[in-house]
Amino acid sequence: MGIKRGVSLYSYQQTQFFKKMDWKDMIREVHDNLKTDGIEIIDEATIRDYPFPSEQFIYDFRNYMARYNMKAVTMDIYLDVHQFRDHVMNHREAAERLKSDIRLAAKLGFANVRPLCLVPIDVIEMALPTAEKYNVRMGKEIHAPLPIFKGNKEQPKSGMASALDFRMAEQILELADRTGSKHVGLIPDFGIFQHSPSQVAIDYAKRHAKNPEVIDWILENSRDYTLDEMPVILDEKFPGHGLDGGTIERMSLHEMSGNPEDLKKIIPYIVSMHGKFYQMTEIPGKPGQYEDKAIDYETPMRILRENGYEGYIDSEYEGQRDQQDMGYENLPDEVEEVRRHHEMLKRLSEG
Amino acid sequence: MFDQYLIRKDSLYNVVEDGKVTGFKFAVRIADYRGCFLSLHNGYYINCDGVEYPRELQRFEINGKPPRTFEEIKTCVWEHWNYDDEGWVYVTKEGGLAPGKHVIGLQQSILAQYGYMPWDEEWVKNPPVPGSGAGSGKTAAICQFELELQE
Repeated sequence: MGIKRGVSLYSYQQTQFFKKMDWKDMIREVHDNLKTDGIEIIDEATIRDYPFPSEQFIYDFRNYMARYNMKAVTMDIYLDVHQFRDHVMNHREAAERLKSDIRLAAKLGFANVRPLCLVPIDVIEMALPTAEKYNVRMGKEIHAPLPIFKGNKEQPKSGMASALDFRMAEQILELADRTGSKHVGLIPDFGIFQHSPSQVAIDYAKRHAKNPEVIDWILENSRDYTLDEMPVILDEKFPGHGLDGGTIERMSLHEMSGNPEDLKKIIPYIVSMHGKFYQMTEIPGKPGQYEDKAIDYETPMRILRENGYEGYIDSEYEGQRDQQDMGYENLPDEVEEVRRHHEMLKRLSEG
Repeated sequence: MFDQYLIRKDSLYNVVEDGKVTGFKFAVRIADYRGCFLSLHNGYYINCDGVEYPRELQRFEINGKPPRTFEEIKTCVWEHWNYDDEGWVYVTKEGGLAPGKHVIGLQQSILAQYGYMPWDEEWVKNPPVPGSGAGSGKTAAICQFELELQE
């Protein structure tokens, strides 16, 4: 058994955008070159005419997966509360979208769905009977800047972190324990083990900053200020710097949001995992071995291995978007990035 | 995302309706890694050669249907813009564009979200006006394109 490897087709979003590969090409890449079987999809990227695909699409997808003996691990699902435009979707309506997605996942043969970390816990609970009925597990994502457990962490008042509930994982554990259901759990994303901004994000920020020195200043001084303090000090030191809040937040990253040790307590609840990464570079002195310099994979992978995690880690390559402001010749090769990621996943799974 | 690729380079045309040149059009893709419910599409910030063309002068063609205003698009709550598909943006401008090169600044507005946000009720009453960055989805920058008018 041991840790299993998969790929979220999210990783090939740019290749799909330019119509170099379709979902069938991607599945063959995973099968033929990565020598593994786990497939994860973004519903609104892979499913033609979501949320009402044709019967032909559903049959074609299941047939193609069967042809190569692949495993439909997780379908990533969303919550767009402005769909109806004349009102904000209420929680019962949000639960209807979740239930519809669960039924769709079941039709396509997926074992799990991944609701986002911002989906309210009562919405998850309303959909639980549907998840049970269709035997699809809901794994709520633990996405940066969320911790696994809140512990002593202060919840920031600004930026993305302010909209997230740092007790999210605890709420899920409580729901699973209270109902005794195996159909609700967690999908931790390795992005919670990112400890510094990736080089591709730094380069993008500098290309678009009025004054790239401000980016350097943030990188050098981010340890000394909280997320709430940083924009204030920047306005003082560099009036008119023009950086938006999202860029400041990304460049200020200097510690992991998740503590790898906390994985031990949630392993029984993990539905699958997202292997977020931005750029795989060769480890100096180790030809053919790769790492992402911004994310700690070694520590969490060791803890998962030692504590008997036997689920999937699905690659989720995200560095491409920071390089799409340049010409074709500068676009990264998603297929190569994911191959390098799987070199690492395979090596670290074996210990 | 897809900053330099949101408009297809060879897609700028004048629009002829009932024998008159009524404006121009170009082909766009979604600035995201997923498609969206069409109702979420909230128009564009468009600046062509220094002139801004607000949402009221824009129409959007997708899914094999004639170009629709963004007031109509807003009501398409069960229709989907597939990630793979190109849409056409129509801009009303009497007489269209002159032959030659044109510089277009573009920001796409799609009210896609990952859940509930503090501004939700405000956006129902007053949807963001494209250009500020609010509601711009995954590409907040105003992206610049130099395009040659096609024959």
